[in-house]
Amino acid sequence: MKRMRWLALVAVIALVAAACAGTEGGDTTTTAGEEATTMAPEETTTSVATTEAPSELLVLDSGGCDYGGKIASIEATSPTEVVFTLCSTDPAFLAKLAFIPFAVQPSEHLEATGGSPLENPVGTGPFMLPEGGWARGTEIVYEANPDYWGEAPAFNTLVFRWREDSTARITELTSGNADYITNLAASDYATIEGDANLQLLVDENPNVFYLGFNNRFEPFNNEQVRQAVAMGIDRQRIIDTFYPEGSAVADFFTPCIIENACEGEPWYEFDPEGARALLAEAGYPDGFDTTIKLRDVFRVYLPEPTVVAEDIRAQLAENLGINATIEVMESGAFLEENATGEQQGLHLLGWGADYPHVTNFLDFHFGGVNVQFGDPFEDIVETLAEGSQTVDPAAAQPIYEEANNLIRQHVPMVPIAWGAAADAALGTVENALTPPVGAPQFATMNPGDDDLVFVQNAEPISLFCADETDGESLSACEQVLEGLYGYDLEGQPVPKLANECTPDEAGLVWTCSLREGVTFHDGSTFDANDVVASWSVGLDAANPLHVGNTGVFEYFAYLWGSLINAPAS
Amino acid sequence: MTLGEAEMSLRPDVAVPDPESLLEQPGSVWRIALRRFFQRKVGIAGLILVCFMILVAIFAPLIAPYDPYQNFIGQEGAERWAPPCINAFGCEGPQHIFGLDGNVRDFFSRVVYAARVSLPLGFTTVLITIVIGTVIGAIAGYAGGWSDNVLMRIMDVVLGFPSLILAIAIVFVLGPGLRNTLLAIAIVTIPQYARVMRASVLSVKEVDYVWASRALGASPWKVLVTRVVPNALTPLVVLGTLGIATVILEAAALGFLGLGAVPPTPEWGSMLAAERDRIFTAPHLMIFPGLAIMITVLGFNLMGDGLRDALDPTLNK
Repeated sequence: MKRMRWLALVAVIALVAAACAGTEGGDTTTTAGEEATTMAPEETTTSVATTEAPSELLVLDSGGCDYGGKIASIEATSPTEVVFTLCSTDPAFLAKLAFIPFAVQPSEHLEATGGSPLENPVGTGPFMLPEGGWARGTEIVYEANPDYWGEAPAFNTLVFRWREDSTARITELTSGNADYITNLAASDYATIEGDANLQLLVDENPNVFYLGFNNRFEPFNNEQVRQAVAMGIDRQRIIDTFYPEGSAVADFFTPCIIENACEGEPWYEFDPEGARALLAEAGYPDGFDTTIKLRDVFRVYLPEPTVVAEDIRAQLAENLGINATIEVMESGAFLEENATGEQQGLHLLGWGADYPHVTNFLDFHFGGVNVQFGDPFEDIVETLAEGSQTVDPAAAQPIYEEANNLIRQHVPMVPIAWGAAADAALGTVENALTPPVGAPQFATMNPGDDDLVFVQNAEPISLFCADETDGESLSACEQVLEGLYGYDLEGQPVPKLANECTPDEAGLVWTCSLREGVTFHDGSTFDANDVVASWSVGLDAANPLHVGNTGVFEYFAYLWGSLINAPAS
Repeated sequence: MTLGEAEMSLRPDVAVPDPESLLEQPGSVWRIALRRFFQRKVGIAGLILVCFMILVAIFAPLIAPYDPYQNFIGQEGAERWAPPCINAFGCEGPQHIFGLDGNVRDFFSRVVYAARVSLPLGFTTVLITIVIGTVIGAIAGYAGGWSDNVLMRIMDVVLGFPSLILAIAIVFVLGPGLRNTLLAIAIVTIPQYARVMRASVLSVKEVDYVWASRALGASPWKVLVTRVVPNALTPLVVLGTLGIATVILEAAALGFLGLGAVPPTPEWGSMLAAERDRIFTAPHLMIFPGLAIMITVLGFNLMGDGLRDALDPTLNK
């Protein structure tokens, strides 16, 4: 009897446990199931991925634009033509297209490597990576591509090495172990310039450092106060004292090497008397107390954050009577507070170009989405929206002139500096040049012997740059891989594997005619299907080859709005 | 004649002490210690160094030729990280005897003014630590039992963390700044003082005069405050003197990690951190704050050693 009772009890407990488990599992299943089977197709309508058309030409069709991205479809209309159909006009289309993550590899190679050619990229570039060319932890040795469609390199072997410390890189150069090094510390400029055997290569990297306000909080909700600060800071003194050679005072938010960036009236001249009068008019004749927030992180646009913050603090006190306290924040917390529009006082931040187009600077910061400066200025937002629909740069010129003038009037921030970076090379390296955008183009250089050794900060993470974001990986990829467009030595997008890409009148359909007779490093012929396949691997999350290194494909998602078939976050 | 006087008078070789001098006994311990301290050169050297740094801190406005926040940007001959320039040694430019820092400020003035930050920081932190450590250690040692167990286990937990790492964690939570630096260092050093105080109380509470007080009906609280604590404080005084040096070093370490004084406040550790990339091109910017830390820490260490020797009854010879 007793045993029966125990059995009954155990049975009841088991039933209750099963019921509970069923409820929990049911909830999970329901939620996950809904998301996976019903929500995804209905919400994104991207059931079609890469499919083979009857002519065996590939097409990537997003199934519409509801998924939130900018690309509606990419279609190989012939072996030598690819058509990109966009969801909305994008005047920066070519500037983005030239970015190395959108490089092309043979569709067969992508398939053979399971969508993850991390250490064996096959491209069409001036250098190729032989088998075993990457000795992990030591170096990457490239060979010149004898069948390169362009001008072949003047030397046979290109070697990539890495040293984290700037001084160690300089030692490699001065000892003759390297021909070219990158990312010099500003304090090392004098060392390079003082050595007749070396050359300093200043890089006009498009970036801007600014002093930001938040118009949601007093006293920076007052436009006169912001204008007073704009006039009360001697920006030339900051550049002259704290920035390396090649840097310049930012007269506009966007650096002038970018088209249409410097239209309109330049920034306010330094005028402390006028600034004090303006501040008094705004109701702050004796200044006020505030904070200057920053993160102590080196960037080309702000090489010495705390030192510059101290000078700005001193200038605010001296010129305007503003008593500012410096608050150095942890980088993540600083950026989070900044992005949510909760940052009071002043903040020091900057921006480096993702791609060389004015929209990457102005639209990102003042286009209405970013709240780091508080509530958006509607007239700026409207003007930039008009600019973002204008593909022709000439037609966009008066629009950006107006936008720059409005930014000058409202002063959401004070642009201070366009910072310069620098590389160095042996004096014997001919045509040594650091382009403003992208990696050094070693194929155009001549080291005077058969090999060129380049030393950068760190080892690449992988050589499948569709799924990498670090500069070291991108530099290494650029020697091997090419996209439809690339950047020239002045940072402008120029055709590479395409003869040209031209938009229709509305700027929604871009037709790219492809270069003929180009072969990949594995001997296969480049055609339109390779373009569609490469883009599909990166852009379509449902593609079985959408594997990569991390599987994030960040630049595809960021620059083109969203991945097609992106998993619900 | 009292019983005591009668007993003592039975021994002709022992002089009968004057009752007045007996009353002065506690004071004389310190006087003896002071005399012993001044007999040891090491302690005197430490005292001189400490006094020197205290005087520098007090008279900083008179010693420093410039405001520590004033920059010389744009002035002739004033360059970032300029080396020391002393006119008496033939330098013809504007005189900056410790050179200029990265913000083109007079480095000597900043090093001098930084003494006004580091020394009070050391004293205040140690004072707070001694007070809290004394209370915890005295209660734990005198009460014993569960209160001893609870308090000491809490102290053990704190001691279980590497002190600098714990201080970094505390400053990370509270945010950088001198007040938070002070609090962080105080929190991580309290257990050392509490443990020493407890050990001292455990030995003192067993001595005869404490038993005598109890026998005469004094309350435990009165016995603890008037008999035990004053006589158990000696090791804490030594530990505190040495502790000031440790606090200054830890504050400098936190400052070096960017978690100490907020710029532009001059503080030796932060000054070292700000210019650490110039160690080869402008070594003077590392040497002078480093020297200031070294002199101060050495002073307190030597003084602490001297005090320990002076207060240690086993070193009477």
